Amino acid sequence: MLEHLWFPHDISTFGPRVDWLFELIFWIVVIVWIAVMIAMVTFLIRYRTRPGRKAEYIEGNTRLEVIWTTATAVILVVLAFMSRSTWADIKEHGPAGQVFYAVASKQFNWEITYPGPDGKLGTKDDVTVENEFHVPVNTVVRFDLTSKDVIHSFFVPALRLKQDSVPGRVIKVWFEAREVGTWEIPCAELCGFGHSGMKGSLVVDTPEAYAKWIKDKYSGQ
Amino acid sequence: MSSAAAAVVPSAHAEHHELGFIRTYVFSTDHKMIARQFLFMALFMMAIGGLMAMLMRWELAWPESQVPLMHWVPEPMMYDGAIPPNSYNAFFTMHATIMIFFVIMPILVGCFGNFLIPLMIGARDMAFPTLNMLSFWVGAVAGVLLLASFAVTGGPAAAGWTSYAPLSAVPNYTGVDWGQNLWCMSLIVLGVSSLMGAINYITTIINMRTKGMTFFRMPLVIWSLFITAILLLLALPVLTTALALLLFDRMAGTHFFIPTGGGEPLLWQHLFWFFGHPEVYIMILPAMGITSDVISTFSRKPIFGYRAMAYAMIAIAFLSWIVWGHHMFQSGMDPALGSAFMITTMVIGVPSAIKTFNWLGTLYKGNIHYTAAMLNALAFVAMFVIGGLSGIWMACTPVDMYIHDTYFIVAHIHYVLFGGSLFGVFAAVTYWFPKMFGRLMNERLGKVHFFITFIAFNCTFFPMHILGMGGHMRRIYNPLQYDFLKPLQGINIFISISAFVLGAAQFLFLANIIYGLKWGEKAGENPWRANTLDWTTPSPPPHGNWPGPVPVVYRGPYEYSSPEVEEDYLPQSQLLEHESAAAD
Amino acid sequence: MPGTAAKVRPLIIPGRKPGSGSVTSGGGDQRERAFMSNGMIAVLAVIASEMMLFSGLIGSFLIFRLSAPFWPPPALPRLPIAITWVNTLVLLTSAVTMFLAVRAVHRSRQRLLRNYLAITAVLGTTFLLVQGSEWVRLVAHGLKISSGAYGGTFYTLIGCHGLHVTAGVAWLVGVAVAAWGGRYNARNASTVEVVAVYWFFVCAIWPLLFVLVYLM
Ligand code: HEA
Ligand code: HEA
Ligand code: CUA
Ligand SMILES: [Cu+2]
Repeated sequence: MLEHLWFPHDISTFGPRVDWLFELIFWIVVIVWIAVMIAMVTFLIRYRTRPGRKAEYIEGNTRLEVIWTTATAVILVVLAFMSRSTWADIKEHGPAGQVFYAVASKQFNWEITYPGPDGKLGTKDDVTVENEFHVPVNTVVRFDLTSKDVIHSFFVPALRLKQDSVPGRVIKVWFEAREVGTWEIPCAELCGFGHSGMKGSLVVDTPEAYAKWIKDKYSGQ
Repeated sequence: MSSAAAAVVPSAHAEHHELGFIRTYVFSTDHKMIARQFLFMALFMMAIGGLMAMLMRWELAWPESQVPLMHWVPEPMMYDGAIPPNSYNAFFTMHATIMIFFVIMPILVGCFGNFLIPLMIGARDMAFPTLNMLSFWVGAVAGVLLLASFAVTGGPAAAGWTSYAPLSAVPNYTGVDWGQNLWCMSLIVLGVSSLMGAINYITTIINMRTKGMTFFRMPLVIWSLFITAILLLLALPVLTTALALLLFDRMAGTHFFIPTGGGEPLLWQHLFWFFGHPEVYIMILPAMGITSDVISTFSRKPIFGYRAMAYAMIAIAFLSWIVWGHHMFQSGMDPALGSAFMITTMVIGVPSAIKTFNWLGTLYKGNIHYTAAMLNALAFVAMFVIGGLSGIWMACTPVDMYIHDTYFIVAHIHYVLFGGSLFGVFAAVTYWFPKMFGRLMNERLGKVHFFITFIAFNCTFFPMHILGMGGHMRRIYNPLQYDFLKPLQGINIFISISAFVLGAAQFLFLANIIYGLKWGEKAGENPWRANTLDWTTPSPPPHGNWPGPVPVVYRGPYEYSSPEVEEDYLPQSQLLEHESAAAD
Repeated sequence: MPGTAAKVRPLIIPGRKPGSGSVTSGGGDQRERAFMSNGMIAVLAVIASEMMLFSGLIGSFLIFRLSAPFWPPPALPRLPIAITWVNTLVLLTSAVTMFLAVRAVHRSRQRLLRNYLAITAVLGTTFLLVQGSEWVRLVAHGLKISSGAYGGTFYTLIGCHGLHVTAGVAWLVGVAVAAWGGRYNARNASTVEVVAVYWFFVCAIWPLLFVLVYLM
């Protein structure tokens, strides 16, 4: 349904879980809203003033009060607990990484550091590329997100992923893309006059294409 | 303005001495005059904040083109009418700062807090009239400081109304120098003004109630202002702390928020939102109180669940202190903490639900009069519900991961702040205008303004949810820089056109105020046949509020359509025959 | 409905018209019982607000303090503990003299009141002077407000308290001057009580800051 609700195409493994929660809340909210509106409009029409009418003197109703308070409380608390595990899987733990990168933000670019042939970050053969983030498809990607100046936010709508990058902090992020293609990485946190237009591209490659790209990059060094 | 002053019956208490022009209109200590001063200052600021919004909307619909009629703005603010990115950032920063701190707060708290508290609890003035006067003038100084920042080199603050550090802490990051300093100073000064107001309100409500006006006979609008004053008292100092530290970072070389010197950027966010979340309830609670009073009056029916309504507001006030982290889900704060904040945030929906259902209960079996004030109050309920319900998505941490910092949030902001607070303001102005100025606003014009505003408002802000679902980030000045946003540009254009209609419609409101002041129908004491004490004195009330002794209160504020009397209202100060026999 | 404004019928029910003067005897306004004096409510409100101000500063201080590997950072001067102990005693003594001033006013003992107010103000001033001279020495030794989180939190937190003491002293002097004119007595004591409550707050928060900033 969300595809029809203007949501961008989703390519990540946790994206469907996020969308499912969005949809669940959508239905709760729409039902509550329609119920409230039906009640309101009905009352507004039925009890509009007419000559000789007098309102009924009703001061309240404790039973009703208790019912709607507990009903809302139950719905909301259950919702919170249902969301918890999705959140924990995305931001607290998550699967073991298969490829590793470092992503640093600065006004107004993304710097992607690839580990080089030895597969380790922080060694001399690392390669840093601006704004181009190549990852293999169907692979758990993990990266360390940092910032060199102000706060930015790593946002890939197609992944449903967003994480602020904070100077002075290293934040661990993961995702797994399920589809080959190129998607934009806009910066989602105001970071100065170049905030609008600060974007990179996420290129999800087939394993072969990825290997080739990596090889070209390293040999270019 | 106070033509009815002639009607003042001199008495021992309402000492009436002639004051000069300055003491009457400028440095007045009369709470009613101070209320009017706040109102007019806020309306003036609203025009500026609204203008910023119009410029933003033009930019978003037709990016990097020249805005018509704006060629006169000097560079580098605009280039022959075209808005450069930094100015766009400055515009939404100033738009939000002005609307929040210099429109909504001055009207709801400054104007109506001042006007209604003494009149509704039966006091002759505030507990500290001089402090009250100071509160306005200190607030005015804050306004001048903020507006002055348009004139300094580097332009006004451009780091968003949330001014996240380190962007806001180092001038080089934005290119804004004194603009941001003035922004901090202005809000510190405004904090002092609000503090003075809050002290006054709290003292007045606790100590100056007339005989019989127990706490649980106070109108809900007074309850809401009381709770708001307490929130102000406790929340603003935290903002002051944060702003002072930010100023030190900018001007004294400290590194509180700048990581290169050992600072902690997230500390700013924690301090800001610890203030910021109570702040948003500061802006909605008075509007809730106003709505309760207006809906009850025009349904000719007691408010449904009076005590539940008061307790719900108290609950909102308490909970507002433990939800601030919901603005920081994606900030890099410990995700486990995020889960805790998600639960508290969901829980805060419960007292709001109580309020919503009780408003509906008030309409049930009422005798509903559709005045302009009532229409605005009903719109408040409907729009607040939309805005509140969109808050549920955002409270859900995984969903917020996607919609955080998108137009979904912008939609939420405007549904609660415009759809909520500002419709509350419209309702309040229309409802109490006769008491303030002695004349009624034009009812038909009021309705025309209402319907255009209501429709244009929804056309402007509802589609923003869709933009947000499409991933459209907020605070970007040119959506066409992104391929995935190009298909949504049509929506942006639709929004902008609606926004221009919305802005233009506000001239009707302005026109109605001017009409009401000059040609409005004379109001009389109690044009709405309402129960509360403010309607037991001439309009506008004389100096000292009641020509005779202050009325004594015998019952609650919402005795509409009481079976005890034939009329459909029963003023709080009205003693019935059998009661007076019992009392004697 | 506004159209009907002029046509509103008078209430048919028999009753007394509000505000006509017949309800209250003798024309005097009646009020619900006051909880305490206006001034006292106001000063308690101010104190509540100040507590939030200090919580913000103390919270920030703790965040830096608890995450720092070394505190104080190696290169910076230590804070003067001994003299500040003495100064703490000075401030706490002033709270006692303030208390005695309140007792004096309740007994309408004018001379005692004056003396105790004056002593309190003098003690407060002493505290400020000692603090000030220590600050001068610290700055000379290289501890500046820009010296990292250590210097920054020290000067803002202690400086904020200093401002409060200054305001308190100024207020005290004002009250003492009025007391010289014999303004206060047992039946007119509220101003003295109010300033006393404020002074107690200023004194009470100091030991907390002392422990956190100097001793911890
Ligand atoms: C008047 C102002 C106001 C009010 C009242 C609210 C009310 C609420 N707000 Fe809002 N909020 C803002 C002003 C306000 N907000 C602003 C200005 C921002 C943006 C700041 C910025 O970044 O610039 C913001 C941002 C904001 C965020 C951060 C989003 C982000 O940046 O990612 C969140 C997240 O949880 C949130 C949640 C809520 C919730 C849960 C409520 C709740 O109080 C709402 C409760 C009400 C209801 C739920 C409706 C009525 C209830 C029923 C009809 C009962 C039935 C309901 C159910 C069973 C679901 N708000
Ligand atoms: C009370 C609060 C309030 C109000 C009323 C408004 C009103 C409006 N807002 Fe605002 N807005 C915010 C609070 C508010 N906003 C906040 C907090 C933000 C976040 C900022 C940030 O990201 O930092 C925001 C951000 C924001 C954005 C997002 C910017 C971005 O992220 O890039 C947009 C975009 O469309 C927008 C549009 C509008 C529009 C079209 C109106 C219209 O309703 C305006 C209509 C015009 C008027 C109401 C004034 C015209 C009146 C007259 C001309 C007559 C009166 C004159 C006299 C009495 C003299 N607002
Ligand atoms: Cu980087 Cu916005
Ligand atoms: Cu919030």
